[in-house]
Amino acid sequence: MLSEGGKITRPMLMRSLPELQSPITVRLKFIKTGSLQYISHLDLQRTFNRILVRSGLPVWYSKGFNPHIKLVFSTPLSVGTQSECEYLDLRLDREMPLDKVKELLNAEMTEELYVTDVYIPTAKFSDIAYCRYEYEIFSDGVSKELCGEISELFSTSPLKMVKKTKSGEKEIDIVPLIKSFEVGYCESFGTLKLEAVLSAATDSFLNPEMIITALKERLLILCGDPSKEWYTITRKEALTAELKSFR
Amino acid sequence: MNKDISTILKSVSKPGRYSGGEFGQIIKDKSKIKARFAFCFPDTYEIGMSNLGMRILYGVLNREEDVWCERVYTPWLDMQEQMREHDIPLTACESGDELTAFDMIGFTLQYEMSYTNVLRMLKLAGIPLRSADRDDSMPIIIGGGPCAYNPEPVADFFDLFNIGEGEEMLPELCRLYISMKDDGSYTKEAYLHRAASEIEGIYVPSLYEVSYRDDGTIKEYKPKYDDIPRSVKKRIITDLDKAYFPDKVVMPYIETVHDRVMLEVFRGCIRGCRFCQAGIIYRPVREKSPEVLNSQAKCLFESTGYDEISLTSLSISDYTELEELTDMLLKWTDENMVSLSLPSLRVDSFTKELMEKIASVRSSSLTFAPEAGTQRLRDVINKNVYEEDLLRAVNVAFEAGKNKVKLYFMQGLPTETYEDLEGIAKLATSVVDAYYKCPKRNKARSPQVTISVSCFIPKPFTPFQWAAQDSLETLEEKQVYLGSKVTDRKVVYTHHDAKVSRIEAVLARGDRRLSAALELAAAEDFMFDSWDECFDYDKWISVIERSGLDAAFYANREFGEDEVLPWDIIDCGVTKEFLLREYKNAKSEKTTPNCREKCSGCGANRLGGERSCCPKAVK
Repeated sequence: MLSEGGKITRPMLMRSLPELQSPITVRLKFIKTGSLQYISHLDLQRTFNRILVRSGLPVWYSKGFNPHIKLVFSTPLSVGTQSECEYLDLRLDREMPLDKVKELLNAEMTEELYVTDVYIPTAKFSDIAYCRYEYEIFSDGVSKELCGEISELFSTSPLKMVKKTKSGEKEIDIVPLIKSFEVGYCESFGTLKLEAVLSAATDSFLNPEMIITALKERLLILCGDPSKEWYTITRKEALTAELKSFR
Repeated sequence: MNKDISTILKSVSKPGRYSGGEFGQIIKDKSKIKARFAFCFPDTYEIGMSNLGMRILYGVLNREEDVWCERVYTPWLDMQEQMREHDIPLTACESGDELTAFDMIGFTLQYEMSYTNVLRMLKLAGIPLRSADRDDSMPIIIGGGPCAYNPEPVADFFDLFNIGEGEEMLPELCRLYISMKDDGSYTKEAYLHRAASEIEGIYVPSLYEVSYRDDGTIKEYKPKYDDIPRSVKKRIITDLDKAYFPDKVVMPYIETVHDRVMLEVFRGCIRGCRFCQAGIIYRPVREKSPEVLNSQAKCLFESTGYDEISLTSLSISDYTELEELTDMLLKWTDENMVSLSLPSLRVDSFTKELMEKIASVRSSSLTFAPEAGTQRLRDVINKNVYEEDLLRAVNVAFEAGKNKVKLYFMQGLPTETYEDLEGIAKLATSVVDAYYKCPKRNKARSPQVTISVSCFIPKPFTPFQWAAQDSLETLEEKQVYLGSKVTDRKVVYTHHDAKVSRIEAVLARGDRRLSAALELAAAEDFMFDSWDECFDYDKWISVIERSGLDAAFYANREFGEDEVLPWDIIDCGVTKEFLLREYKNAKSEKTTPNCREKCSGCGANRLGGERSCCPKAVK
């Protein structure tokens, strides 16, 4: 149980791998779902730090007085939203097969937070212009008939909503930030299903929760007993300005 | 009726406290489980997840194949409001099942002010508070931890208490439970009786009758059966090198109070400060070997990925092989970017060499605990450090470029005078002076000395267990007085709330009759009483009075030498005679050497222990 180095530690691994001229950036695509949706960005950063240390990957550390692992995440994900397409760039300073990287990481992760792909990035995070989200809503009084009303709500400009920013609250029209929108009703579960492509560019990011807020405020959906009603938001795909899948 | 709380989680603060799903949590197949154990920490997730004892016992219980131990914490106020409004019961982290689905519920009692949270959690779980009101279908409610050494104020609520270290006791309790369930002999009554008579360290309060004298003091404890102990002897782990220590832990996603590897170096303390309960109840001192510690640390680093290892023990610098241990650790911690930290440094053992090995490089602050302002009072409390030690220690810190020092003191100690209080201010000023006299100081910064002053609380199983706490008025007046003596602007003075300390004293030295007051407190929704925003002194006094009790009887009365004390039912290894001898030494300002210098015959050696510094330990 307490054997010396039951696992390969970073320094041991480092010595066994060929050195690189300069650190190489690899991109992780990962999912963050279920209970992990309640974990904030800051907490996720700390969590990844520990996952990386546990995995023993030859991660590059910044030089200087307080060496640390440099992590760059893509589009922010707010608490309460799940995702199947999060991205994280990190640097390795030794050569290692990418599928090995994935394997070592996933050994330290859970079914609600795991890596689905590891590759050498070509595109920049700033190329992400939109994200596609799926919503599932279970609320008192939702019906097939409501779908038309919902479609209309999100296609009629202006739909003024209050946006909280660091400098205070301001009112914005969210319709121009909705690239596309579809709504359907699932008879067997009695749930509404929404799919929306929302702006995700840094200067015009639309928080997907805003769609829920609009449904609450304008159509009184999800205003009943919160222990009986529920909704999920899942980020399914990151898209470029040309609406191509980001990689 | 597992309610969907996903929408509610989106509306409360820090939902990560309740969402679970941590890496390292233990999930078992319910169909193969014979005893389900809910380990409750009666405070927030962030505090509970930082508790080393809970980490150990979680691992110990889950080592048993047919036992599943899960974690439960107290939901914060906003979450409780939602739970009340929507009729959501308290559930365990791993399975999400209600507490009534469990066979046993264990509460760790770390501080007296968490008692109301214990009752709160039972209430949220829909479990009757009093042991007498719970039938065979209800889970067995177990208490343990340092406050279980005087379990009497909460005696009516618990079915049984674990006295001492739980690594062996808890699995034994589970095994007995499972065997009685298997052979069909289980009833709550039969189980409690067998646990009390067969398992060492188990105290079942309902099996003892307590009678009182006319003056309100205890007359006697009478066991209801002949085969249960007349006094319950604490359990210890004799060989810590061989004891279970977790090789992996549940990794919190949200930031917790102690979010690092905690390495327990030894148990007990050689010092015997006369106010300190931990220094007595964890005796005898038992050390782990540096080799075992090093391999445990390495193993935990690999399984957690933490970048800090904290060596946790009382007075860590008393570890006989500290140098060997830190050298071993530094061989691999440095290259893995892991830092070491040592809490609780004694001023007389703080050296340049030691400081260079520990992590505090990043922080500019160091903490020491002189506890009292004059040598006379430090002799009374048997602290055995001198002003020169403190000044030498801060000098080491200043030379290394530090400019902030935090000093812990206590006010209201037995025999304390206004001169002693003034001594605190003077000592702080001499630390400021030492900074300016230090030629190698960081001249770009000015010194900052924080004096943090807590109120003395007489605790069971200490030489001061008989001593009266100062009245609330005196405590508060002394706080103001000390404040007026702190004139140096480089000195920051903070103090504890004397009102909380008074209630803590009541609960610490209370007897069984206080259960009534706590029951009232629970009925009136007291909770989180260790949090400033929740504690209400007047309400506390009111529930105590309405229970026909007097706070001063417990807090402000000097207990008689011959008096039967509520905790006399517990045998912590250290004898009452030793404690009384020490109390008398305190009054005559006589110090007692530490265990390594000379054995003072405290009695703990009866309990045995490997790698013990106790020269007379029974091997």
